Amino acid sequence: MPVLEKLARLCAVLAGLLLTLITLLTCASVVARNVGDASLVGDFELTGVACGLAVALFMPWCQLSGGNIIVDFFTARAGAHTVAGLDRVGQWLVAAVMALLAWRTSLGGLNAYANHSASMLLNFPDWVVYGGMVPPLALTACIAVGQALGWVHRVPEAAP
Amino acid sequence: MSPLQLVGAIFAVMLVLMALRTPIAIAMFLAGAAGYGVQAGWGPLTSFLNNQAFARFASYDLSVIPLFLLMGNLATQGGLSKALFAAASRVMSRFQGGLAMAAVLASAAFGSICGSSVATTATITSVALPELRRHGYSGRLATGTLAAGGTLGILIPPSLPLLIYAILAEQNIAKLFAAALVPGLIAMLGYMVAIAVYVRLVPGHAPALAHEPAHPVSTAQSLWGVAPIAAVFLLVFGGIYGGFFTPTEGAAVGVATTFAAALLGRELTRAKLAQCFYATAQGSAMVFLIFIGADVMNVALALTQVPNQLAGLVHAWALPPLMVVSMILLFYVVLGTVMDELSMLLLTIPIFFPIVNGMDFGMPQESAAIWFGIMVLMTVGFGMLAPPVGLNVYVVNSLARDIPVAESYRGVVPFLISDVLRMVLLLLFPGLSLWMIGFVR
Repeated sequence: MPVLEKLARLCAVLAGLLLTLITLLTCASVVARNVGDASLVGDFELTGVACGLAVALFMPWCQLSGGNIIVDFFTARAGAHTVAGLDRVGQWLVAAVMALLAWRTSLGGLNAYANHSASMLLNFPDWVVYGGMVPPLALTACIAVGQALGWVHRVPEAAP
Repeated sequence: MSPLQLVGAIFAVMLVLMALRTPIAIAMFLAGAAGYGVQAGWGPLTSFLNNQAFARFASYDLSVIPLFLLMGNLATQGGLSKALFAAASRVMSRFQGGLAMAAVLASAAFGSICGSSVATTATITSVALPELRRHGYSGRLATGTLAAGGTLGILIPPSLPLLIYAILAEQNIAKLFAAALVPGLIAMLGYMVAIAVYVRLVPGHAPALAHEPAHPVSTAQSLWGVAPIAAVFLLVFGGIYGGFFTPTEGAAVGVATTFAAALLGRELTRAKLAQCFYATAQGSAMVFLIFIGADVMNVALALTQVPNQLAGLVHAWALPPLMVVSMILLFYVVLGTVMDELSMLLLTIPIFFPIVNGMDFGMPQESAAIWFGIMVLMTVGFGMLAPPVGLNVYVVNSLARDIPVAESYRGVVPFLISDVLRMVLLLLFPGLSLWMIGFVR
């Protein structure tokens, strides 16, 4: 399923660009504060918001590339068949947790919308962040399901 | 079920899931969720989860983690490690075993701009291992040195485990960074001494001094290659220590300056930049997912009241504080044989920190908290080297396929001895690490 891989890559690059944006914003704020005497209002709120979206957008790639830590000490001597079976169970569990998080986060977002909750200084609405997190979390669940069914294969890491 | 039995059951579920290859974060999440649900009901659990991802992911305090990871990946992909190792081997070429010492020096220097010890290990190994082998170093000494060198990054700021300890124990990140600096340097020197002693006691693992590599470039030239990294380090940590910016801002400045340094080196292509983003994605998502899992687990444990009672019990026993700390550190050594460092910190600091925090170590509470963190981090570094599952040894071995893992484990022994000596030193003389805190503004 190359579609899921493409989407995961897109999410990761999008999140990388968000981090780049935070970097530029923060550097501007640091220079403005220490060199001039101006300060950017609410830069740390935007950093938090962008970081939240970025982390959620990073999840699909992490799942696809097998980034989550597994203890393989106890199954080091097990046969390949057993290991593959256990990994499938693990992938179903990941899918369940990710789907649960996606579902509950969307409810959290609806609550935030209803309560008009927003950030302190910039009044940036919280529901936007909740809403932005749900699609990548759901995508991660789909990737895990795909892996458990054997449709999606782990993307090998490039050497560092 | 009594609270103690419940805690036992929660841990049993988590450990069984972990042993059966469920990702650690998911194992903690599921065991914690079950424990939470059994105690408080499933309604409160699901409403707790409504805000969980938002609260953890969209947090200014935690945004320092992906930024420092991105900075480290830019350094990794930017080819900064080659110049570093060249300069280090130039400086160390007068000693027997000098090239191995250079690998330690280069690991420490690279660790000063890269927060992940696995990334540091892999990066320096890919540059230094071929050189070490080419000049006649044994596989045992070469892989042992590189695996040990990688653990220096745990102490030398910016270190991911250090950031996580600071966040969990609610301690000042700048002060922890400062307190880790001297122990990090002691560790580096200790590893160099370990190499010097080892090549003298056990001949045949390093070439004779006359066969150490000659260097075509001058010292000035090789130092020029290191200048960008030194500049990044001084700017980022000078700024953080001097109070000019927060750790998150420092991380952002680090990303920008490392990016500039990588551009100067003309190594950073568009494909490598994408690779930076992918590696940052993997690292950040992995850490934040463990945060989510550990949160659920810790809430479930807190509901049982057992961690509180445990702290009360330890205080009531009035054991000598040093003994309690030693026992906790021994526990980390044992746990470190099967668990990775980040999961271990996230799972145990909420339990152990309250125990230690109330004790009288004859120093201010904040200093004690910082010193305890440094001790824990050193122990965690020990776990990354020691058999049966030294993560760093595996990282090096995956890049040195011709060397058996058993041979590498023999190679890390001198460094483990150096680790133990350093731990005892810092356990007895906390002032060694704490005096630097005074310089933080």
